[in-house]
Amino acid sequence: MICVLAGFGIAVFRLQQVTRFRQVDGELEIRVSALNAALREAYLEQGPPNAGGLPEDAGFRGPPPDHGPPDGRGFDKGKARDGRGPEGRGRRGPPPQPKKPGGLRFTADAAALFGNRPGDYYFVAWYRDGSVLQRSPAAPADLTRPEISDRDTLPHYLTRGSFREVVHCAGMGDCVLAGRSVETDLSAARNFAWTLLAAGGAILGLGLGLGFWFTSRAIRPIETISAAASRISHGNLSERVEGAGSGDELDNLAEVLNSTFARLESAFARQRQFTADAAHELRTPLAVIISETQTTLARERSAAEYRETVEACLDTAQQMRRLTESLLELARFDANEDRPRMSVDVAETARLCVERIRPLAAQHGIRVETELAPAHAFINVDRLSQVVTNLLTNGIYYNHPDGTVRVVTRTEQDRAAIAISDTGIGIAAADLPHIFDRFYRVDKARSRAEGHTGLGLAISKAIVEGEGGSIGVESVPGAGSTFTVRLPLR
Amino acid sequence: MRILVTEDEPRLLRSLAKALREEGYAVDTADTGDEGLFKAQNYPYDAIVLDIMLPGIDGWRILERLRKEKATPVLMLTARDAGPDRVRGLDLGADDYLVKPFDLPELLARLRALIRRAAGVAQPVIELGGIAIDTRSRTVAHAGKPVTLTAREYSILEYLALHKGQVVSRSELYEHLLDDSDDTLSNLVDVHVFGIRKKLGHSLIATRRGQGYSIE
Repeated sequence: MICVLAGFGIAVFRLQQVTRFRQVDGELEIRVSALNAALREAYLEQGPPNAGGLPEDAGFRGPPPDHGPPDGRGFDKGKARDGRGPEGRGRRGPPPQPKKPGGLRFTADAAALFGNRPGDYYFVAWYRDGSVLQRSPAAPADLTRPEISDRDTLPHYLTRGSFREVVHCAGMGDCVLAGRSVETDLSAARNFAWTLLAAGGAILGLGLGLGFWFTSRAIRPIETISAAASRISHGNLSERVEGAGSGDELDNLAEVLNSTFARLESAFARQRQFTADAAHELRTPLAVIISETQTTLARERSAAEYRETVEACLDTAQQMRRLTESLLELARFDANEDRPRMSVDVAETARLCVERIRPLAAQHGIRVETELAPAHAFINVDRLSQVVTNLLTNGIYYNHPDGTVRVVTRTEQDRAAIAISDTGIGIAAADLPHIFDRFYRVDKARSRAEGHTGLGLAISKAIVEGEGGSIGVESVPGAGSTFTVRLPLR
Repeated sequence: MRILVTEDEPRLLRSLAKALREEGYAVDTADTGDEGLFKAQNYPYDAIVLDIMLPGIDGWRILERLRKEKATPVLMLTARDAGPDRVRGLDLGADDYLVKPFDLPELLARLRALIRRAAGVAQPVIELGGIAIDTRSRTVAHAGKPVTLTAREYSILEYLALHKGQVVSRSELYEHLLDDSDDTLSNLVDVHVFGIRKKLGHSLIATRRGQGYSIE
């Protein structure tokens, strides 16, 4: 940016400089031609003897103001040769010396071109012998005739100190010089240079400032995001990235991050809840064992009382064992442990499970009915058995005496379905959404006393979903519930 | 002293009630939040043991609603032991907190302390002239010699001693010393007071006719 600015500044400065000098040179050329005209007038006034050659030349030689130097030069050269030719041919021997004119003869317009004050246009005219024919009062005192050969009839552009001058010599050595102090132009140029520099500096400063502002504006959302992310990584999971609300890519990023964080947070919250619940579930039986034994040991008891206490402790310990097993099982599902899958006839698996569960059903006075149509699912057979057994056990436990558990398998479009219905107590609508939650029990006191951990349905759901299937429930309180498992065919 | 135990784990409820009854307390039990709240609001308990995770109304809400009308000492009993949970329980008006699994002797000691503090007594041993009532061991000594009281007699003496200077009506004694499973005749209090007077001297408990008893 600095280079561009500097290059641009220098170019502008140079252009300005050149234009200015062109302008000055043009002005000076007008004056030189006026001087030439005045000189010719002076010769003409003096008399005819030799006036033919020079004034004619001088007349031709005043470069027309509109012509640029190259054109004028070429034109002058041709004319000069032509002019000198006849002269040389016409007059052999030393050319006659014309009388030195007394002074230049300006027309009123021409005289107005020069001024008397320093800084005005000035002129000097030299006679061919080198003596000064006339000089304007404004001409610098130290101005001497430039060393220009007699034959050189081209206008010369000279810069002498702070003066810009144009010298033109006629063939015979008469020279006229028009000049002007360019002091004001130079100082204007200097001022212009300073202005350029200041403008450049201002643009540079503004550019840097704006650049900084834009960059920091562009970076700010990223900084916000990274700050929020680092706070989250330090454990504050409820932290969210604040979107700028501008609807740009960064906003989208913030949204994506926020939804990720939200999922993470809810996953952590679930994990925390699960850990707290697991701790609660394990502590309660521990409290039972400790309180039972301490109460019993507080005084002497009868053998029957000791027996009762020991039995209570054993029951409670068994409950803890079931719970720890279930917890381990869930932990394994959470770790996404994979087991081999194959195409399994769901009907066959269900039949085996029903055979195994019949003794328990008989014990509770429950009838098990089946309606098994072959349906093949791509699943791990052990896990399928576990789910079916879980659901059958629930159907038996939460049933009325003399109730029925009905198992139906069928193929539904691209799914294999197993439906297990009971004629039991049903589930209240308020409990339905939570029925698959870990440790959720509709009747805690009753289910815990019967040894249920509150994890059976959660485990079933984890298994089914792990196998790519789904599990759902429909229930009519007081009439019974139907759990339906749908599994992928392939 | 009458205590309400609210706990949804049946075995724990049973063994707690048993232990407390053996300590001489009258014990009522509740295994759901709603029952616990109803009893806590309607009976004059000397202390309540309250589990947090209960079916129905949970322990927090019972405490919140109970504190709007009563200052009964409450000991929270729960398997939740996270710091914020404890703070929440105490801020809601619980007087003490025990995390499951707990030691039974500690629970009993905390309950004794709660009941003492609620009666404005800081000392575990209450001195009445020459009679010392040790609430820790539930023993009474008269002039340095141990005196054997029945559990009921001790309970009546302790209640009157904790409410020293107040007239305690018979019905108040019934309410605080008998739980809802007791089925006793009203003159039993008089019988127990008679027993105490026989063992510790006639002047200890004064009878205010038509009002009740008091220890000055």
